[in-house]
Amino acid sequence: MPENQPRKQTNSPSEDFSEGIDDLLADLWQRHLPTLRERLDLLARTAAEATTGTLNEITRAEGQSIAHKLSGNLGMFGHHKAGDLASQIEHIFKAPTPETLPLLAGLTRNLRETLAANL
Amino acid sequence: MRRILIIDDEDDIREVAALSLEATAGWEILTANSGAKGIDIAVAEQPDAILMDVMMPEVDGPTTFRNMQQNPAISSIPVLLLTAKVQGVDQRRFAGLGVAAVLFKPFDPLTLADQISEVLGWSKNSHSEQPVPSEPAV
Repeated sequence: MPENQPRKQTNSPSEDFSEGIDDLLADLWQRHLPTLRERLDLLARTAAEATTGTLNEITRAEGQSIAHKLSGNLGMFGHHKAGDLASQIEHIFKAPTPETLPLLAGLTRNLRETLAANL
Repeated sequence: MRRILIIDDEDDIREVAALSLEATAGWEILTANSGAKGIDIAVAEQPDAILMDVMMPEVDGPTTFRNMQQNPAISSIPVLLLTAKVQGVDQRRFAGLGVAAVLFKPFDPLTLADQISEVLGWSKNSHSEQPVPSEPAV
């Protein structure tokens, strides 16, 4: 082997394997972005209704369902903090109280901000 | 080659789970977006295991599982429920069902196949399972 040749950096087989899956997951993430954006918009509207006291049972259940889906999905793509925020939102929608409902607006805002770089 | 049926109403859950199991374990993946369709596919295709979401519209996972148990054609196929982290009442609800396992969302795509293999007693990355030949009678 010639001397003074820089050693080529190569991944181990397991690193190549993980990178391959990461690339596939990144592609899936891109394809599901429109759905994610729609869900974030719906959550924001539902949280706004909660703040103004206009939340009804239908929109409450819708908010709970959307937050539940997000709490289960976001972590798969590595967005664990966002998934935890979605879980907090879900729990508030599941059993809302006058003390917890006002928290929804801030939580949904935090959720969007946490994901902002990937939207 | 192991064949897994994934039943979930969420497109991205089905796709990520399928991607994960195909890429990490080489399993063949079947999918359904509802319990009813899942039962039809299970009867027709006889998968080695079923990974099924708990919260689905119309008929949820536990109800679908009970329906599967009533069908002799598929009642012996191990079922793993997939759900968000549960507490208290939900744990008790699943304990008496008789499913093979309950796995939690979000799952790690890199280790999902390992989790399934572990609970079902499968060898890791089993691309094919050959029955162990029995000892000849003496």
